[in-house]
Amino acid sequence: MKRLLPALLLLFTAGLAAAATVGQPAPAFTATDVSGKTVSLADFKGKHVVLEWVNPGCPFVVKHYGAGNMQATQKDAVAKGVVWLAVNSTAADHGDYRKPAEMAAWMQGHQAAATHTLMDADGKVGRAYGARTTPHMYVIDPKGTLVYAGAIDSKPTANPADIAGATNHVKQALAEATTGKPVSVAQTRPYGCSVKYSSM
Amino acid sequence: MRRPVRSILLPLLAAFAAGIAAIAAPAAAQTAPPTALVSTPQVRAELVAHAPAGVAPGQPLALGLKIEHQPHWHTYWKNPGDSGLPTTLAWTLPAGFTPGEIEWPTPKKLPIGPLMNYGYEGTVLLPVTVQVPAGFAGDTLAVKLRADWLVCKDVCIPEGGDFALEIPARASTAAHAGLFAAARAALPQPVAGAVASAAVEGEALVVRIAGLPEAWRGKTLDFFPETNGVLHNAGKPKASWESGAGGVWNARLALDPQRTAGPAQMPGVLTAPGQAAGLQVLVNVTTPWPALPATPAALPALGSGSVSTPVAPPAADIGLAMALVLALVGGMLLNLMPCVFPVLALKLFGFAQYGSERGKLLASGLAYTAGVVLSFVALAALLLALRAGGEQLGWGFQLQSPGFVAALAVLFTLIGLNLAGVFELTAMLPGRWLAARARHPVADSLLTGVLAVAVASPCTAPFMGASLGLAVTLPATQALAVFAALGLGMALPYLVASAWPALAAKLPRPGPWMAHFRALMAFPMFATVVWLTWVLGQQVGIDGAAALLGLLVAVAFAAWAIGSPTLGTLARRGFGAASLLLVAAALVWAMPALRQEAVARVTSVEERWQPWSGERVAQALAAGQPVFVDFTAAWCVTCQFNKRTTLHTDEVAKAFDDKRVLLLRADWTRRDAAISAELARLNRSGVPVYALYAPGAAGPTLLGEILSVGEIKSALAALPNPEKSR
Repeated sequence: MKRLLPALLLLFTAGLAAAATVGQPAPAFTATDVSGKTVSLADFKGKHVVLEWVNPGCPFVVKHYGAGNMQATQKDAVAKGVVWLAVNSTAADHGDYRKPAEMAAWMQGHQAAATHTLMDADGKVGRAYGARTTPHMYVIDPKGTLVYAGAIDSKPTANPADIAGATNHVKQALAEATTGKPVSVAQTRPYGCSVKYSSM
Repeated sequence: MRRPVRSILLPLLAAFAAGIAAIAAPAAAQTAPPTALVSTPQVRAELVAHAPAGVAPGQPLALGLKIEHQPHWHTYWKNPGDSGLPTTLAWTLPAGFTPGEIEWPTPKKLPIGPLMNYGYEGTVLLPVTVQVPAGFAGDTLAVKLRADWLVCKDVCIPEGGDFALEIPARASTAAHAGLFAAARAALPQPVAGAVASAAVEGEALVVRIAGLPEAWRGKTLDFFPETNGVLHNAGKPKASWESGAGGVWNARLALDPQRTAGPAQMPGVLTAPGQAAGLQVLVNVTTPWPALPATPAALPALGSGSVSTPVAPPAADIGLAMALVLALVGGMLLNLMPCVFPVLALKLFGFAQYGSERGKLLASGLAYTAGVVLSFVALAALLLALRAGGEQLGWGFQLQSPGFVAALAVLFTLIGLNLAGVFELTAMLPGRWLAARARHPVADSLLTGVLAVAVASPCTAPFMGASLGLAVTLPATQALAVFAALGLGMALPYLVASAWPALAAKLPRPGPWMAHFRALMAFPMFATVVWLTWVLGQQVGIDGAAALLGLLVAVAFAAWAIGSPTLGTLARRGFGAASLLLVAAALVWAMPALRQEAVARVTSVEERWQPWSGERVAQALAAGQPVFVDFTAAWCVTCQFNKRTTLHTDEVAKAFDDKRVLLLRADWTRRDAAISAELARLNRSGVPVYALYAPGAAGPTLLGEILSVGEIKSALAALPNPEKSR
């Protein structure tokens, strides 16, 4: 038993790692939204924040927007007082790239309820969070700690019919986090198209 | 007492059965007019067959999906990497035809900006081997296939198609022989004698693979993990070759900062420039993984499954409510397991003692319940805290410590001697204490509860495995609730009995018989000591067992010298002082022996049972041999019971031989991180666990905690006969 005690101590000291890691402080960032406004993560200290990687040219994004699943998740979150930031990290020279006004129109046309839609064409925010896919979802708690990273739901397919039977990990994480419970599923493998990063 | 227990068990079992029935829900599938060919702007996909000797039992039959990609477009491997989805094939074949898993050709790395995917460009064939049923005599074989794939260049398009093909049974189908031969040639090959192990060091997995073939040495290798969510896919391995003839490749592979898994074994594929086929390796991770931030991802297995993802047994998908019910039932059944018999004896004695006084009976029932529930929760909290600290532990872990086993043996010896009348507490304790004890049976009952839990943990009852396996992955509060339910279940029969007026009336009146009954109860205690000594012997060898027995003699002498009611004051002082010295000396003498590791593990693994390792399982499966693994421990009484009544019977031995099953034994008597990790992968946290692996199946079949010959035979009956193995 004596040998087990150091392991207990480890529990309290394991807290030193870089990059976006669940249980660690979420990387700070500042970006411009589709209306030209500057938005910083620090603006929302004290609130839960959701980051959603989005690309209208990706069929997996279309799966969740076309079926209204992403918007319903956004409305559910915003109604709980959660800040929702949609981030588009598509490079300006990629075929999927949309100018801020086009991106704003696309979100509006889909009746999205995101608090802000951020343009990240240089991929700085995406790279800081290690965002790989669209969609790739993150939840940050009021203290600025990353509490969820991964997929929107539990069925990694492009088929909208699979949404009904899937567990929405973001909805579940928010329901737990906003009522003071620990997030039971805090990391999943994201699925979708790769983020179309700039080659710089 | 039996009646109230049964009347509660039945409704609970009914509820359990109803819950199981409600779990599985079928999924609907869609159909479209099928052809053998589906063309899209990105790919040309064709269902192809290879049956050079026609379709007949015992003759080779392979089906496959041929995908021709437009330039720069790709589809994905079984582990797609940072994004993407593996191609899936769902076959519809006549009854009796069983398609195997996709035999994935060696993949390519497909970098996309800072990300990395694994997949195929150009032309690829995803083949499956099909078993033709023994009685097949048709003229044609009608094959239907639903295939879904994600095809990407710098954009991704999910595509799919319904395919159909008629294969003549009496003529040769070999138009695509070259394609199938090429796919076979690109299949990652197992390497005889290669040994792969890895250790977690900070943010990297340090891999060492020995015994690689001559032609590969000195080349720049790439590693493709089959397990998703562990390694940083875009990371370049920092690799080097050891000088010398061993063919040893060392590599530092960066871990995924958002890691979602910590497997004990990582199957993967090694590739080298100029080699068409990669090498199949199975990397054993020898160090425990740092704890993940929370529950490992509950994503369903991607694609058509791989050897690395065991098929979760149906009971592993249970929710919290079901886990609580299962734990309650499991707790009740725990009372029927042999571990708890000695404590049952104590409880019976308690009932006889307080039988006439209802108030005291009820108070003692409540106290016993509190003792059981609190100790379960305390033990579980300790287990969870240690696991969170990265320890690879599971249920019953305290019995993996020789010191704990020895202390338990001393305790049971003392209880036995007391019941036998060798010493009395009246002779040792001040009168005031005794008066208080007589008035408050509560403390006694509470401690009996604690004792019951201490000895019950080596037993796993039916239903407990699944709920405990789930419990250790739940958030702490929910996990503790499951353990509390287990304790409540275990104590419930007594609680009910102590509150049952009719029962109290039926108990015999106190009288001289109680003295005899008390002495009789000493023998189950001594039997327990025999078992504990055997467990200790398994852990530290015969010297340790002898040291424990020596210590027990000294303790027994001290108990008699200090506590015998017939000894005079002078004799007591003399013998008492001598006995304390003797105990001290025995402790000093016994300690080193109790601490040492067993020099030669005296696990009498019979010839037919070989020690378990993940590698052996994978090797046997790769060779087409089914594997049965017995996860066991010397201190696990249920395991010993199963061994005697089922596993070691001639009937079962013959059934195993008939199917050429490799028998492996994973001995968890002492702490073993690899076995703990394997148990966790099977969604279990304690022993016994019995796993049957069939070659080609996605994962093992788990058998019940209480084995029966019939259960093993029916599980084995599902295996193909050895003559037909490929």
